[in-house]
Amino acid sequence: MSLTEFLIVWLSCLATMLACRCIPIFILKGRDLPESLRNALNLIPPAAFAALVANDLFSPTMFSTGIWPGIIPVVAALVVVIVAKTTKSLIWCAITGVVTYALLTLI
Amino acid sequence: MQKKDAIIQALKVALPVMFGYVGIGIPCGIMEHQIGMNAFMAFVMSMTFYSGAGQFMIPSMWLASTPLASIIASVSFVNTRQLLYSAAFSPYFEKVAKRLTFLFSATVTDESFGVNMAKYQEGDWGAGRATLVNLFSMTSWGVSNALGVLIGSALSIPTAIAAFAMTSIFICLLMGQKASLENIFVAAVAFVAVCIFKAIGLSGPAILLGALCGVFAGLILLAVKQR
Repeated sequence: MSLTEFLIVWLSCLATMLACRCIPIFILKGRDLPESLRNALNLIPPAAFAALVANDLFSPTMFSTGIWPGIIPVVAALVVVIVAKTTKSLIWCAITGVVTYALLTLI
Repeated sequence: MQKKDAIIQALKVALPVMFGYVGIGIPCGIMEHQIGMNAFMAFVMSMTFYSGAGQFMIPSMWLASTPLASIIASVSFVNTRQLLYSAAFSPYFEKVAKRLTFLFSATVTDESFGVNMAKYQEGDWGAGRATLVNLFSMTSWGVSNALGVLIGSALSIPTAIAAFAMTSIFICLLMGQKASLENIFVAAVAFVAVCIFKAIGLSGPAILLGALCGVFAGLILLAVKQR
């Protein structure tokens, strides 16, 4: 990738990224929003977290190299669910998740 | 609040994200090295564009000789989910100055959205500390990317395993949400919707579209409950 190509990709991606990151908060902040919109904003966190987890665990090609490689992340995720319930700690969840995943790939 | 206290509080919140970013930032830098980016370019891109998914997509699409315009369009499409995060933070920034709001919103990622939103929901969280969380995480991401470029291909980190640290963080954040009927319904619909969108080939915007499905389903449930 040449310097010019790098600059084009970087600046274009940065521009669309900044638009997505900054425009909604500036449009919405400090406004008296209707109740339905306020409800919608409150529903974003559970929706987004569930979407991010689903995106990481499932893909149409997850079983392309066999059943087990596709199931490993799901099993590791279930272990993390238990750790999350008991410890409520992000660090512990991250550590158990990675270690469980690594151990399962050794089987 | 004392400046030092704010920094320590923010650092505590940012720490899991910062560690996770080392794990995926180094492999990301290794890929950026493969397409001829130097450590400075990787650092600048990480400290401005600052997107894990995006910065993995750029080298892999480039290596697959994808035209520049397609790379830009695909990366931008994937990052449209940021619209939702930005909107979700807006009630907490009502009285926050424009410059701080800009600095904060310009440095939100999936992970920093997660940890900051969890702190705001708990109460007792502010824009200053939230922005510090973003900046600490961003610095970890920037340094790890630059390191990855310098290491080049001398080291191989199994990316799938390292990336599971992020998945684990999202699971913990999801489990931390209030277990109300509408939250469970919203999460279930979003989860299933993402799987469906990916199955029908809409992997790029799957997170945004799936999350929107969840939010709409939740609004319908709330409307039904009110009747």
